[in-house]
Amino acid sequence: MPTVDIDPDELRDLTGHDEKSDDELIDDLFGLGLEFEGRTEEGAFELEFAPDRLDRLSVEGVARSMRYQYGDARGTHVPSPNSPEWTIEVDDSVPDERPYVTGAVIRDVDLDEESLESLIQLQEKLHATMGRKRAKGAIGIHDLTMLKGTAATEGNPTIQYVGVEPDADRFVPLDSDAEMTPADVLEEHQTGQTYADLVSEYERYPAIYDSLGLFSFPPVINGRRTEVSTDSRDLFVEMTGTDQWTIDKMLNIVCYALSARGATIEEVTVEYPDSESANADSNGSRTQSGGRELVRPDLSMKTKTVAHGRIETILGIGLDPDEVIDLAERSGLEATKEENDDGDLVYEVTIPPYRVDVLHPLDVIDDLGRAYGFNDLEPRYPDIGTVGGRHERSRLERSVREQLVGLGFEDMLNFHMISEGENYDRLDITPGDDAYGAGEPATIKEPYSEDFTMLRTWVTPSLLMVLERNTHRSYPQNLAEIGFAAEVDERENTGVAEGRRVGAVLAHHEAGYEDAKARLQALARNFDVDLETPPTDHPTFISGRTAAVVIDGEEVGVIGEVHPKVLVEHDLEVPVSAFEFDLEALR
Amino acid sequence: MQLPAQQVAVVEAATADEATSVDALAAATELPPETVTGAVFELEDEGLLAVSERVDETVALTEEGREYVTDGLPEVRLYEAALEAGADADPVSMGQVIGASGLEGGAVDIALSNYARKGYGAIDSGEITADPDADPDADAEATALEALADVDDAPVDSVDVDSETLESLERRGLLDRRESTVREATLTERAVTELMAGIETAETVGQVTPELLTSGEWEDVEFSEYNVEADAEQFDGGKVHILRQTSERVKDVLVGMGFQEMEGPHVDADFWINDCLFMPQDHPARTHWDRFALEQPTHIDELPADLVERVERAHKEGVGDDGEGYHSPWDEDFARALALRGHTTSLSTRYLSGEEIGDLEPPQRYFSVEKVYRNDTLDPTHLLEFFQIEGWVMAEDLSVRDLMGTFEEFYAQFGIEDIRFKPHYNPYTEPSFELFGTHPTTGELVEIGNSGIFREEMLEPLGVECDVMAWGLALERLLMLMYGFEDIRDIHGTLCDLELLRETEVTY
Repeated sequence: MPTVDIDPDELRDLTGHDEKSDDELIDDLFGLGLEFEGRTEEGAFELEFAPDRLDRLSVEGVARSMRYQYGDARGTHVPSPNSPEWTIEVDDSVPDERPYVTGAVIRDVDLDEESLESLIQLQEKLHATMGRKRAKGAIGIHDLTMLKGTAATEGNPTIQYVGVEPDADRFVPLDSDAEMTPADVLEEHQTGQTYADLVSEYERYPAIYDSLGLFSFPPVINGRRTEVSTDSRDLFVEMTGTDQWTIDKMLNIVCYALSARGATIEEVTVEYPDSESANADSNGSRTQSGGRELVRPDLSMKTKTVAHGRIETILGIGLDPDEVIDLAERSGLEATKEENDDGDLVYEVTIPPYRVDVLHPLDVIDDLGRAYGFNDLEPRYPDIGTVGGRHERSRLERSVREQLVGLGFEDMLNFHMISEGENYDRLDITPGDDAYGAGEPATIKEPYSEDFTMLRTWVTPSLLMVLERNTHRSYPQNLAEIGFAAEVDERENTGVAEGRRVGAVLAHHEAGYEDAKARLQALARNFDVDLETPPTDHPTFISGRTAAVVIDGEEVGVIGEVHPKVLVEHDLEVPVSAFEFDLEALR
Repeated sequence: MQLPAQQVAVVEAATADEATSVDALAAATELPPETVTGAVFELEDEGLLAVSERVDETVALTEEGREYVTDGLPEVRLYEAALEAGADADPVSMGQVIGASGLEGGAVDIALSNYARKGYGAIDSGEITADPDADPDADAEATALEALADVDDAPVDSVDVDSETLESLERRGLLDRRESTVREATLTERAVTELMAGIETAETVGQVTPELLTSGEWEDVEFSEYNVEADAEQFDGGKVHILRQTSERVKDVLVGMGFQEMEGPHVDADFWINDCLFMPQDHPARTHWDRFALEQPTHIDELPADLVERVERAHKEGVGDDGEGYHSPWDEDFARALALRGHTTSLSTRYLSGEEIGDLEPPQRYFSVEKVYRNDTLDPTHLLEFFQIEGWVMAEDLSVRDLMGTFEEFYAQFGIEDIRFKPHYNPYTEPSFELFGTHPTTGELVEIGNSGIFREEMLEPLGVECDVMAWGLALERLLMLMYGFEDIRDIHGTLCDLELLRETEVTY
């Protein structure tokens, strides 16, 4: 789970609740679903946050939610932005893979060390979450006074979002003194190396220019010229991405955070070229956002129609309409009572532009429940009659396990993942052999370690591994496992045949074929199946002491004395006899 | 009089004139010494034997001592090498002498520390001199070693070595002294009298045999007594694995609460594992390293086409009049990719879709206790594969209160009371709750599950028109809470310790 660092002093400051102790704050935060994980070296709270409420990725957003919780704020609040002066012009050359841009100007910010740090943290957390590690959306924040807009039209300052040749122009990136081309940045700059994969396949690299030249190389790094410091008064925020909705929402969250610090938001005009690329929304939806000219940030409200009846059935309580409206306002929403076409009571609920998680009326009901206090609801056992029962395979498995235990076997539970070496090589078989257990493996693409590269094709290897690791324990060691095994089988829809196997090993000084056979016979008798054991060859077992397990006329397994070379391979100094067959055969 | 057979044999082997040791009695009666010792004590109790004890001290060479018998004492070897090198005339470099002597390792130190002490010469500034008058043949320790060479645990007064030399050998670790108790028995007068009157062997019986029972002989025999207090040999019968026992217990509880069991593939398409759960395809959990994607085979053959279409639409546009989808791309090929399931909610989606056992009409309750796979760090509380308890209830108009009531009932069966519900976020449930419970022994608040009401964006494409509430938790977590295991790897997997499994208390 992601975490966010919040300075408790700032929180007291921004909520206006100086009287709250740290412990009280921690309790209140838990109520919001922000779990206290510990403190940073500087004493800030480390909070685990649920990844739906991305508007709480900064102290400003958390403070806003707490003010609603405390009842200090009600309903929705939208900052009123000033009209646009600046324009972002999107050039035809912009890479097709990253066609979208958005932006805002922020005036009169008052940044100190803490608020600057909070802004940087918000930027990083948004990158990590909504921005999908900058692949979907990347943020650049600049000192506006360092920008010089080209006066393209009517004297309004303009910057350009363009696509450039990787080694065309040079700029000095953040944390560097050298002039570099974008290609150099990806090769030589630490941040460039981290994010190189995002753009290295592009024909042209994304870049943002003002009249002085390249100042931002999204989504990789900004230029040093426009670096924000505590002296910055006015900011230019730009975001690029693969989806207009995503970057617009990220921008709203940033604007709200800065507005909470007293800054003024000023709109920016985004001009897309008259080409197909800008209109072809990769989602296939919301093509209106790819139009010719946009004004951003888009701080318009969204509404959802929520049925009163649905609120009551989900929460399981009866509610008065005024109560619902009150709960909505305490959640930072606004609700008005209406009647729909069927004459049912519904609410038109207004959702503020920083909320990214409200996809459906249900999400509003969740907010209402939180405001009501879920833990104040009285649990009740649902009055629903159903008949319980076990799956047939699971009942069979239990019965066979009981029989095995009755026959003196210790029941084992091993991992389904294994290595090729353990599954095949150490038992002297080869994938694709005719031998039982030698099926083709279902393999794992990026295994945790070389010990777990495939699903086991039989359980005998696991049982031998247990014997190997317990040679210091007393004998006899009679072990059995009814366990999962799988192998590649093209006839299956998933391409993998899965099943349960009954595997057993007998390890003690006099263990022999007959001991194993006697127990196998007992199982067959108990499940009233016909057992035959015609001689066969299997590399794991001693030739002449190996048989196929044939149940009701079908070959379903193998039984024998384990070959000395397999025993020695497993450091065993006692004889081992074993059998394994498909559980289904006893059905 | 009548006595058990062993006692008769012992009485007959002993005499009234002379004390006979237990070993001698054992040799005479051909009985094991411990049997004879037992019989001797019982006869003493009967007043038939007088028993005396004395402590014998014996000596024997240690392994090192025996080595010196063959190789000679290190200091003697050093002296001989020194003479050879002419050290009786002029000092010779020590390295040279040691090299010539063939002494190695610890033997060099032993030689040096005894050399001067025993007057073989002097060692000074790395040079060695030899006293020409020293006589190795007169070395008392060497002589004693010779004398003790063939002796094994001989009584100390029987060897021809003076006590001073014995002590010095013991100090040097060349000699072991042992003490042993010797018991000797002499017939009492009463025994002599009884013997003259005749002592018979009593019919004591060790084993009840078929002959004994059918012949009726059992009526006349005495059964030999056992030491009924002694521990018997350890017996390890079979036992159901502790985690299986716990899983059976969970299944019993759920069946009792009206739940039917589900099952389905471990290797499954992402479609069933994630897409049907309204998990966006660019959700971090889906590209995250904790997923086990398959290298071979790579993709599922078939997915139900109409369901794929409905799921895709829900992802892109949402469901309902007021719904909206995710602002991210959706690709069927991505959904067909195979992986080891990261949760058994894939079974729930298969069952809810009607693909597994046909369309379901409410009300329904379903569960599974099956393995899931996560590429997480392997440590005492995390395994790469573990059992997930999955359960869901389908009915018209389910509320958060029904969900809370159901889980309270379930956890109460395992002694976990006072469940707390923390509002939470899951992509596929709303509202969602993390469940916390109080640890029965430590009193700590611990997370015990995750729950919620399935979103309409998930249910509508699956064709479910009523409410479904669901929850999941790790079985291992429940086990560790219930039994206080500290490292789950001791229990589950091929690193397991048989002894721990054998000794683990059963559950019921």
